[in-house]
Amino acid sequence: MDDYKFLFKVVLVGNAGVGKTCLVRRFTQGLFPPGQGATIGVDFMIKTVEVEGEKVKLQIWDTAGQERFRSITQSYYRSAHALILVYDISCQPTFDCLPDWLREIEEYASSKVLRILVGNKIDRDDREIPTHVGEDFAARHNMYFLETSAKEADNVEKLFMQIAEDLMEQARSKDLPRYDTSTANIDSRTSTIGDSSCCSKLI
Amino acid sequence: MEEQEMSKFVTQQAYIDGKIKALSKMIPQLKIIHKDAESLVTTINHISESSEKISGKIRELDTAREKVEECQKRVSDLIDLELCSQGVQKAIYDEDYEQGAALVHRFLSIDQSVVKQTASDFEKVAGLEDAAQKNLQTALNTPAGDKRYPVIYADTLTLLYEGVARMVNVHQPLIETYYGPGKLIAAMNILQKECDNQTRRIVSEFCKTRNMNKKMSQINEISRMSSSSSFSKLEKTDPKDLDVLIGEMTLMHSKIELYIKFVRSKVMTDLDVGISDLDERSKNVDKLEQLIKNSQVSQSKHELLGYYLRMEQYYMEESITKAVNLDTAEQGQHTSSMVDDTFFIIRKCIRRSISSGSLDGICAIINNACRVLESDFCNILRSKLKQGYPSGYLDLTQAYNVLQSSIQQGRLQPGDTEVARTAFVVALNNADSCTYYVEALCDRVMLEIEQAMPAMKENDRGKLESCLSGLSSVTATLKDVIEYGLQQLRASAIKPRVHPWIDSFMNINHEMTEDELSAYDAGETFVQTLIMNLESLLVPFKEVLTPSNYDSLVGVVTNEVISRFEKIVFKTTFNRLGGLVLDKEVRSLAGYLTTSTSWSLRDKFARLTQIATVLNLEKVSEISDYWGDHDGALMWRLTPSELRNVMALRLVLERAPNIKFIRVCI
Repeated sequence: MDDYKFLFKVVLVGNAGVGKTCLVRRFTQGLFPPGQGATIGVDFMIKTVEVEGEKVKLQIWDTAGQERFRSITQSYYRSAHALILVYDISCQPTFDCLPDWLREIEEYASSKVLRILVGNKIDRDDREIPTHVGEDFAARHNMYFLETSAKEADNVEKLFMQIAEDLMEQARSKDLPRYDTSTANIDSRTSTIGDSSCCSKLI
Repeated sequence: MEEQEMSKFVTQQAYIDGKIKALSKMIPQLKIIHKDAESLVTTINHISESSEKISGKIRELDTAREKVEECQKRVSDLIDLELCSQGVQKAIYDEDYEQGAALVHRFLSIDQSVVKQTASDFEKVAGLEDAAQKNLQTALNTPAGDKRYPVIYADTLTLLYEGVARMVNVHQPLIETYYGPGKLIAAMNILQKECDNQTRRIVSEFCKTRNMNKKMSQINEISRMSSSSSFSKLEKTDPKDLDVLIGEMTLMHSKIELYIKFVRSKVMTDLDVGISDLDERSKNVDKLEQLIKNSQVSQSKHELLGYYLRMEQYYMEESITKAVNLDTAEQGQHTSSMVDDTFFIIRKCIRRSISSGSLDGICAIINNACRVLESDFCNILRSKLKQGYPSGYLDLTQAYNVLQSSIQQGRLQPGDTEVARTAFVVALNNADSCTYYVEALCDRVMLEIEQAMPAMKENDRGKLESCLSGLSSVTATLKDVIEYGLQQLRASAIKPRVHPWIDSFMNINHEMTEDELSAYDAGETFVQTLIMNLESLLVPFKEVLTPSNYDSLVGVVTNEVISRFEKIVFKTTFNRLGGLVLDKEVRSLAGYLTTSTSWSLRDKFARLTQIATVLNLEKVSEISDYWGDHDGALMWRLTPSELRNVMALRLVLERAPNIKFIRVCI
């Protein structure tokens, strides 16, 4: 069953208890497991989706939010194609920590990584962070933004599908140019060296 | 009569009206009653529920009472025991043997195992604490010179867990007999608390004695100072100094892991045997998982793993930096010491992570290794290749010029050429041999992990494989580096030399007569000179490059020769004999280059061979033997217009009247 055209690694990060595991479970298994204990280390799930008739395999890494697992979770940033930074819209501290998370992403992740900010738990009526505040933050830091509810399955499918589509587009458009630019570099270098040898031949 | 009835009705009407009024008054009352009745029903339901609850409680109480009774019996047995032993002593003292024998008989009638159990229940937890205290004390008092000193905390943990395990093993049958199967988890709960306390103590002693906090903050400080590249640190803790400590941490971690595995398997088997109800069992399994997850032992485990990973990462990065700085290339070796050293370090770190017994730990180390190799290590190789290969001297003037310009650009010092060349070649070889090392590393690691963790879950395996696949992206980056190096080589060492050699083709007249042909054949032909020159270009590389790099180089040279040759051929005109010479020369050139490598390069010559074939035709019309859809036709690499141009090279001379026929043909 391993016939897929693209494989993307998606890593979820954010404070403990913001619902990362629930988002992943909702997307991969279609269920909302209440009373989930804290994630230990990292969890790993796979879901193959179809985008424009192509099979796209999403490898989803669900990281532990707790500080003591940081040295495990940090090691996964580098190879991520997309990073989902999650906060809880009913919990101000999880939003306040976002700059710390961004610093960490800056330090460990590739600069090309697709970054998405997600405000989770919109099913709750004790909202503390208004939508526009999240939006502003995301816009300031050049991230996509989406509010979701893993419990009500709101926007969860949309979140991951959007990521799959974007990454596929990125892969399609970047693949050739990236190769081209590297050869172009070599070529330009070659031509300069070629010129000098040409001159010396004249002498 | 009728009137009478009428008046009767009238009087009745009043009566009925009254009744109806009374009835309608009663309706709300009825409603109330209905409501009351409903609430009565719910109340009764409540009562029945609570009575059921109560009866459940009573049942629990019953079991509790039974236990209390058992306990009382045990106590009275114990008292009996005491009395017996006192009595026996007294009887012996009084020489009243009959009385003594009776007492001994009574002692024997007391259930022996109950007595034993009571005794051990008391000892159990208390004993654990004492033993652990003592062990920790021994650990603290171990002199620094002791052989076990470097791993003394791991040893202490081992002793603690062995103690707990022994206790569980000894008491499990007793618990099963007296409390019933499936109760081990309750006992474990009690035991775990003490075990947690002791573990916390040992780990905190470990952190204190081994200066963990200071070391960790030092490492964090260093990596913060130069987070951009791990290869340019200022002041450092020697990674070697951490070696022993890292070893101890992995050992401690693996001991904890083992202990948790032991507890899980013990309790699970007990539950499997003891509880047949699936719901009840899974509830208990959840309880067990919670117990393990929330235990201090698990917390300490994660804490240790966190420390370990940070230190191992530091160790890996620093050791590799050291290996790179101490890089030496020995005469006669294709590669330099940093490749062997780097992969030795990476293998060592991964191995150590395997010994910790944590899959997450292994994955994190593999991820870190990928990062170090792909960014830091490859960048070093690339920057060495960026210096370029100082081009060879075509003649003295040129050599002088090249040198002059290089010096002006500050690229190298005069006399450094040889050094710079060697450095370049070694870097190229290093990149190539790294690709093999990476592959071998991948296979070995997988094998070793499978041996260390035979019962890996499907999901865990997926995790691991995904992390290992990161190593293959390292290979891709290495291939890029090699390609980059070869292009550098092409630009500086190949192109400037190959072009003039090929260009000399133009100096030879290819519209020759028979006499000229034999004269040409007798002398040194173009291709002989070319092959000799190519040989002189390639031979020095053959010795210094790895086989696969050499093959790639021959490939690059071939491409260069062919593309230049093609261009030159189009600038030359041929007659039949000239075409014959070209055909022969292309064949021998292809033959020479193909034998120079282990891959076949003949395919690259396809176009050139076809050009030669066309120029070597006896009659122009023969082209139809090769062109078209029939059996003898060739797979043409030339486009029709190219083919026409090639033919023109000869047709110009021969002015064939049937050129139009050819046009039609193609």
